[in-house]
Amino acid sequence: MASADVVLVFDERLFSIEAVQKAAYRFIHLFAMDMSLVNGSITCTLTPSQEHSPEGLQHYIDEFKKEVLDQHLRIKIKAETEDVRNLVLGIAFSNSGLLASE
Amino acid sequence: MSKFHSKEDYLPTEASYKLLPIKFERLNSDEYVLTNMSGEFTVIENADLDKVVNYKLVPEDQLYADLRSRQFIYEPNDKSPVQMLALKVRTKYSRLANFTNLHLFVVTLRCDHSCPYCQVSRQSEDKSSFDMTKEMADKGLDFVFRSPSPALKIEFQGGEPLLNFELVKYIVLEAKKRNESLGRDLAFVIATTLSLLTDEVLDFCKAHNIFLSSSLDGVEALHNANRPRAGKNSHQKFVEGLGKARLALGFDNVSALMTTTEQSLPQVKSIIDEYLRLGFNGIFLRPLSPYGFAIKTKKYRAYNTERWLEFYKEGLDYIIELNKAGVRFTEHYTSLILTKMLTSNDPGFVDLMNPSGAGIAAIVFNYDGGVYASDESRMLAEMGDDSFRLGHIEKNTYEEMMLSDKLLDALEDTFTLSVPMCSDCAFEPYCGAEPVYHHAVYGDSVARKPESEFCKRNMAIYKHLIELMRSDAETKQIFLGWANRC
Repeated sequence: MASADVVLVFDERLFSIEAVQKAAYRFIHLFAMDMSLVNGSITCTLTPSQEHSPEGLQHYIDEFKKEVLDQHLRIKIKAETEDVRNLVLGIAFSNSGLLASE
Repeated sequence: MSKFHSKEDYLPTEASYKLLPIKFERLNSDEYVLTNMSGEFTVIENADLDKVVNYKLVPEDQLYADLRSRQFIYEPNDKSPVQMLALKVRTKYSRLANFTNLHLFVVTLRCDHSCPYCQVSRQSEDKSSFDMTKEMADKGLDFVFRSPSPALKIEFQGGEPLLNFELVKYIVLEAKKRNESLGRDLAFVIATTLSLLTDEVLDFCKAHNIFLSSSLDGVEALHNANRPRAGKNSHQKFVEGLGKARLALGFDNVSALMTTTEQSLPQVKSIIDEYLRLGFNGIFLRPLSPYGFAIKTKKYRAYNTERWLEFYKEGLDYIIELNKAGVRFTEHYTSLILTKMLTSNDPGFVDLMNPSGAGIAAIVFNYDGGVYASDESRMLAEMGDDSFRLGHIEKNTYEEMMLSDKLLDALEDTFTLSVPMCSDCAFEPYCGAEPVYHHAVYGDSVARKPESEFCKRNMAIYKHLIELMRSDAETKQIFLGWANRC
């Protein structure tokens, strides 16, 4: 028997839906997740795929919250470095003979 | 007056810095690993990650200088951080332009061994059913020389390739003849148990600079249990063959690979000692692959990833101790990963390539004319799954096979920079796409990475190596030596 569902709520002004979705993906081996957005609150219902002790379940929930924060930062970095990332790749592969027009 | 400007003269003229593309993963509860686009890494405390990303670092921080010097951050007036980073990325991906280098000819499936974990071999005298023909070999060589790679390696696989040595000779001579006008850097390898070595074979190998790649699973009892053959003397045959081959071809022209079975797990030190006793300067601690007979005989499920990692870590600890005691000895998988972590070079190991090395780094011509994207692909086919069979060497053209949806879809779908989780992973620069493994185990060439044993195993290794380097300066020196081999 699996542990009972856990409901977590994130404020949309602080965390994006994408960050929560990406965090959920990293925990796909532990939880199935339902997600809804109501009045600026992202509500996640986590359904554990197996039975955990209360301490074990709390540990995974804490890790999930940390992961949402990590994903928030990852998205921020990705957005802020998109131009320079494309520039680096452009320089790296220019004159490489890999493009048909070269 | 000082000849040098003061330290303050080198402080930034503008207050703010900018981020370069960086990724991070938790190393432990207190620290993160940060990597940049070329795979250089640094470890920072949890609180520092927030400072870095939210522009709270100040030039006086040591971390500021560290991150700036290695293209994690830059200042608007810096001259060339983007060019430096691009140069490293370009070096890392430079193998791609060369395209397929390794071409495997499975000249026969017949074998004198019947290893329970073997993926493909057959105990059979029926040559017509399990041997490659000359006509197929000719077509295979046409394919080989279509590759633009300046270096071409032809590896003979089996079964036991020496059971069809006439065809090995034919391919070597024909390849060299064709290469007279083409001038490629041509190399040959025979993957053999060494049990059927003869003077004729060795003379031919010596005359044509052929390297021998063999198998050694450990001490005699373990090796013979893993690798049964008539006479129960696989280990003895290996040792005899090794001596003869080294004498004829040169000491370093024979290598050995080991496979970890359930029986290997409690004896990693004795396995390493056996490699040392026989004069090898390294070992490749390989887990079982989920293909062929290893699945049928349930060998693959005999131990899990956690147990293999214990085996690997115990072995690596022992090897580090040996190095500290003055014995030069390498764990080869670690060495491949360290090369990716500590240099801008990519060693070109197919399992750890992105895009996947399937087809574009290595390709297989099977005994029956089937062309496969990798050695694992043909093993999968022996289980009845033709997902990575690109065509038939006598019936399909180079273009039909190399531009087939089977190959291109697998490469595109599994490209780690666009796969969920991989695309955000700090260890992505060290890792590989591995479509065939994930297809074989999960029925999906991408698969869910949180459930992937490949991901679990490699993430654990990357973190372990970083922790080892941070905890002991001498270990880091040893690892730098492994990463920077000539």
